[in-house]
Amino acid sequence: MTTPDPHAPVQLSGPVPFRAGGFAPRVIPLAGAATLIGLIALWQAGAMAGLIDTLFLPPPFAIATALWNLAVSGELWKHFSASLMRLAIGWSAGTVAGLALGLAVGLTTILRSPGMAVVSALFPIPKIALVPLFIIWFGIGEGSKDITLAFGVFFPTVINTAAGVDAVPRSLIRMGQSFGLSRAAIIAKIVLPGALPSILAGFRITAAIAIILLVAAEMIGADRGIGSFVLAAGNLYDTDNLMAGIVVLSLMGLAVSFVLGRLEKRLLRWR
Amino acid sequence: MSDFRATRRALGSLAGAAALAATIRPARAATKLRIGLLHTLSPAPLYLAMERGYFAAEGLEAEFRFFEAAQPIAAAAVAGDIDIGITALTGGFFALAGRGALKVIAGGLHEQKGYEGSAVLASPKAYEAGLTGIDKLGGRSFAITQFGSSFHYMLGRLAETAHFDLKSVTLRPVQEIGNMVAAVRSNQVDATIAIASMAKPLEAAGAAKIIGWVGDLVPYQITAVFAASRIISGRAQDVGAFARAYQRGVAEFRAAFLLPNPVETDRAIADIKKYVFTGDPDGARKIRGGVGWYDEGAGLDVADVTTQIRWFTEQGLVKVAVDPAEVIDTRFIPPLRQS
Amino acid sequence: MGEGSRVGLALTGISHRYRALQVLENVSLTVAPGEVTVLIGPSGCGKSTLLSIAGGLLKPDAGRVEWEGVLAPDCLNPFATVFQDFALLPWRSVAGNIGLALEHTELTKPKRAVRIAEVLELTGLADFARAWPRQLSGGMRQRVGIARALAVRPAIMLMDEPLSALDAQTRALLLDEFAALIARAGTTTLYVTHNLAEAVRLGHQIVVLSRRPGRVRAIERIDLPLGDRSPEDSDLRAIESRLWAMIRDEASAAEKEAGHDHA
Repeated sequence: MTTPDPHAPVQLSGPVPFRAGGFAPRVIPLAGAATLIGLIALWQAGAMAGLIDTLFLPPPFAIATALWNLAVSGELWKHFSASLMRLAIGWSAGTVAGLALGLAVGLTTILRSPGMAVVSALFPIPKIALVPLFIIWFGIGEGSKDITLAFGVFFPTVINTAAGVDAVPRSLIRMGQSFGLSRAAIIAKIVLPGALPSILAGFRITAAIAIILLVAAEMIGADRGIGSFVLAAGNLYDTDNLMAGIVVLSLMGLAVSFVLGRLEKRLLRWR
Repeated sequence: MSDFRATRRALGSLAGAAALAATIRPARAATKLRIGLLHTLSPAPLYLAMERGYFAAEGLEAEFRFFEAAQPIAAAAVAGDIDIGITALTGGFFALAGRGALKVIAGGLHEQKGYEGSAVLASPKAYEAGLTGIDKLGGRSFAITQFGSSFHYMLGRLAETAHFDLKSVTLRPVQEIGNMVAAVRSNQVDATIAIASMAKPLEAAGAAKIIGWVGDLVPYQITAVFAASRIISGRAQDVGAFARAYQRGVAEFRAAFLLPNPVETDRAIADIKKYVFTGDPDGARKIRGGVGWYDEGAGLDVADVTTQIRWFTEQGLVKVAVDPAEVIDTRFIPPLRQS
Repeated sequence: MGEGSRVGLALTGISHRYRALQVLENVSLTVAPGEVTVLIGPSGCGKSTLLSIAGGLLKPDAGRVEWEGVLAPDCLNPFATVFQDFALLPWRSVAGNIGLALEHTELTKPKRAVRIAEVLELTGLADFARAWPRQLSGGMRQRVGIARALAVRPAIMLMDEPLSALDAQTRALLLDEFAALIARAGTTTLYVTHNLAEAVRLGHQIVVLSRRPGRVRAIERIDLPLGDRSPEDSDLRAIESRLWAMIRDEASAAEKEAGHDHA
């Protein structure tokens, strides 16, 4: 047996071995959708075969039936419209205030450090813990619910707006100044449009937070609203309606995400 | 002495030693029983039973598990975290019991005519505006903990007996009993229900007005003892042991607080103070003023529980069909005699 | 187009520190009206800083910047800058970017449109009025930059290494266009670069700055009109060599000093 001599030159011929494969996963939307449908089908089958206790986990068909009944009886609209109103008011108020402070923090020295200090201190407080305080301050009417949502929306908006303003290239601002634009014109025509991508990204976050807080906000004094509906169903161990309410909340989140996606597409098509 | 005799004596000693050893075997180990209850004054008879060793005497190693609200106690029993619970019967409870997971086995607190249990409170502003009696609750706002709670039920039955329209009352679910009271004091709702130990001090302070007592209009099995179905079927003798200990506690509770010539009230207060109002200098007075009514023998008011099931079902708060016979099991403690 | 502005600049005794470094030291120079003054020097010699100071965008620690001359009636902004990184707003079209410089002036909307069309024609961008910056090559983007600058009919053009961000081929193409545009506009121009071909092609007065702290090391004059300069001209080549000799000295000395700083 001859062993190859390590010092002899090695002969090469043939194709060069390919070494750059992998690390590039492809997106297959059909696979995603099919998986979700498959899981739901499995869930339904499990319930029908008696493997899943319907008390603890209602099957998809029961949830769909509960949703249908809610829609037909008008209950769904009653709760949904009440929540929608609170979301609209609370989110808008928190967003407007957050945009204003975020801009100020991003642009002025007076407000930058104090503003960021206050926001950083108050932001981590779980809003759910503040609900009893809000009741004392604002009562159990609509006010405390709108304020809870506004509060939860305010802080991420400030942070994202300030970050967006910071991200506007200083060279663009100098360019505006060099062409004699006023401070107001620079803010309106350069800073705000430049911060818009960050602001819209922030909207995705705050919209999700608002929907999550809806349940907390509607805990006190609400006899209507998706959040209060979910709470009541949970309390009564009415798991079919509980899951139906959760599905509605989930769909609300998806709808908001879709709308924001379209908004981004339209406003940011220059990217 | 021959070898034979020595062996016999040795054997005899051995036998004696063995016989002695046999009598010094350890006592039978007590079985564990986990009892879920609200950390309030209302389960006072159980505190007495625990302090006075009645559970131990029945061979039970009873363990209290305290909860802050009624709903989780029922859920804990279903999930197996506790074996027996005592709390308010709510819509949620019947939804679980209706599916076979729980059974009511004895009575607890009972709203009684002539006994000040739960009061209907009006806010100062509503009282000024004319809410001076329970029959005037129509069209007002009312604070409850949650839909399907005992407070919701009481309001519903008050509506039936005092003839006002329940649908005209705006319900405000506020989750916690503390919030109910706060809402009334601050005039954010017109009325609510609170137990005597909370209601009386409020009226004394001028923060609210008592416009009636629930028990006068609607006698009501407000709390009851229930057990997980698996415990009843698998450990019936333990449930029986619990029942006996419980009845002793109830008897001594009634003797100390409810009977015409109370005996040993101070000793009962001292035992109760180990669980509630501990260290409170005013505790004795609060206990005296706040204890509720327990029926003799802790019998369950079956007729009222049946009414509760009917009401919750009619209101759409319980969606499963609940057969009273299936969810009540009175073999451990005889039901209340219906007069 | 009416008579253009004729404004000159006088910088006297300019010194400036940036953080711990003395960036410029006692720089004095005059910029004659209608001429192109080129500032060249090794990296870090403060040429861009000097440009900002000359344009009123930075306050010097010491020294004066004065201007003297006549502003044409159609001048909308005395200064206009062309930036190394183009400084275009990505969310506005080409026409919109040029419009940004005009919107706050007294021009009405239709007049603005006329002005924009004019400069687009001048810079060969007439077909790209509605394009987004991201759709344009580097060279095109800089054409937008100069179109924007020309649109305000400035008295003084400040150009901060306008061709440095472009590849060599684009740079060569644009250089000829720049020369033509600058010659046509006849505006006083201050042009910063480290590229000698640009300096020699465009500058009437070439100011060589020393390494940091920047001082005026030498001033070369080229009076040949911009339109008459060709790359093969031997005189221009000689000037370029002279300039290179000076700058090479400064650059290698600067590098050694930087090495000592970090050692």
